[in-house]
Amino acid sequence: MEAATIWFHIGPFAVTSIVVTTWGIMLALGVFCWLATRNLALDPGPLQAMLEGMVSAMEESICAVLPDRAQQLLPFIGTLWIYIVFANLVGVIPRLHAPTGNLSVTAGLALLVFLSVHWYGVRNEGLRRYLKHYLSPSPILLPFHLLSEVTRTVALAVRLFGNIMSLEMAAMLILLVAGLLAPVPLLMLHIVESLVQAYIFGMLALIYVAGAMQSQQNLERDEKGNEQ
Amino acid sequence: MDFDWPTFFLEIINFLILVWILKRFLYRPILGVVARRRAGIEKAMADARRIEAEARELRQQNERCLAQWGEEKEAAQTRLREELAAERERLMAGLEISVAEERERRRVLDERQQVEFKRAIEEQGIAQGAAFSARLLSRLATPELEARLYALLLEDLHSLRAEDKRAVADAAAAPGLQLKVQSAFALDEGRRAELVRVLAEVTGKALPVEYRKNPELLAGFQVSIGPWVLHANLRDELKFFSGALRHAG
Repeated sequence: MEAATIWFHIGPFAVTSIVVTTWGIMLALGVFCWLATRNLALDPGPLQAMLEGMVSAMEESICAVLPDRAQQLLPFIGTLWIYIVFANLVGVIPRLHAPTGNLSVTAGLALLVFLSVHWYGVRNEGLRRYLKHYLSPSPILLPFHLLSEVTRTVALAVRLFGNIMSLEMAAMLILLVAGLLAPVPLLMLHIVESLVQAYIFGMLALIYVAGAMQSQQNLERDEKGNEQ
Repeated sequence: MDFDWPTFFLEIINFLILVWILKRFLYRPILGVVARRRAGIEKAMADARRIEAEARELRQQNERCLAQWGEEKEAAQTRLREELAAERERLMAGLEISVAEERERRRVLDERQQVEFKRAIEEQGIAQGAAFSARLLSRLATPELEARLYALLLEDLHSLRAEDKRAVADAAAAPGLQLKVQSAFALDEGRRAELVRVLAEVTGKALPVEYRKNPELLAGFQVSIGPWVLHANLRDELKFFSGALRHAG
């Protein structure tokens, strides 16, 4: 994998091809959503039906985990799913690299998940009650809780980065070794893997956030178990 | 596997911007239209439930009405059957009376037709008999027969009853009266004179006499004294007999 090329600088920040690709995805998604949702009707056309189905499916997935918080979590979790799908699939297009094949991108997403877990947890449970769950069921487990927070965040970033980067690298190697059309099956696998990895990343983020939002319930359940 | 801090921070910013974009242009409009549709569906479902309840109530009312109408219909049918039976009885009685009347009328008509037919047959028989008699008598009508009829005429004039004579005298009393004597054959002078003398005896005075020959009388005479006519000829006798037969029939 070659390093991302720097296109230009914005102050101290060097804007790489990865960031430009991300902007392209954002622009395409924004324009598409703006055009598609300008004239929504109660009797939907094919495009509106597809969008409604997609949003409803994401909402139902969130509902399955957190029945009362779907509206609250849909923007963050849904955007994770949508962005990662498109960021993964960009790698299929020749001469473009998937942003998620870059550790900086996946680490940024993982950091956002890490922060959002605490944000939603504190917002839902309150700071004291939220922090109290780190001492549950026993204060001895606090280091392990902290270690778990770090490792699962790192795992999120590395898992997505590793899968996408390895797929792109494998396709490139096969292209170099076998010829022009030889990587096509691998690219098809890339598509499937892109969808699977996006789903896994979003679901894990959802589960982490749900765990934080339901920490008080978990705490009460643990205390009740200890009393018995 | 290089890590680039600027890319790291820019990606975080980019993602947050993308969250805002999608929330503004995708989730909110889509969820809004879904919510509006869901509200519309719930409203439609509520309306449907309300309409269903109203329909159920209407159905129960309809069933009650149908049951009531069924009872009324049954009663009306029973009443109608009774009225029809009564009307049928009345019409049958009237029909029987009409049939009896018609039968009686036909019987009377048949009897009348039979009488008429019998009379027609009789009249035909009488007419044929008269025709045969007339034909036979026309062959027998001779001056000799007429002489016998002349004698018979005189005998009748002599044997008139008193009231008949008075009637003849009253008829002859009319002023300017002329006696008329018709005969099938010509009368000779001797018989004319004798007849004038006998008529004068009957009428009581001598009146002028007009003689005329009428072969239709076949044989015999017809004497007219004003309105009083004395028949002594075969034609009138045949008519008299035919009339007598008809009246007898």
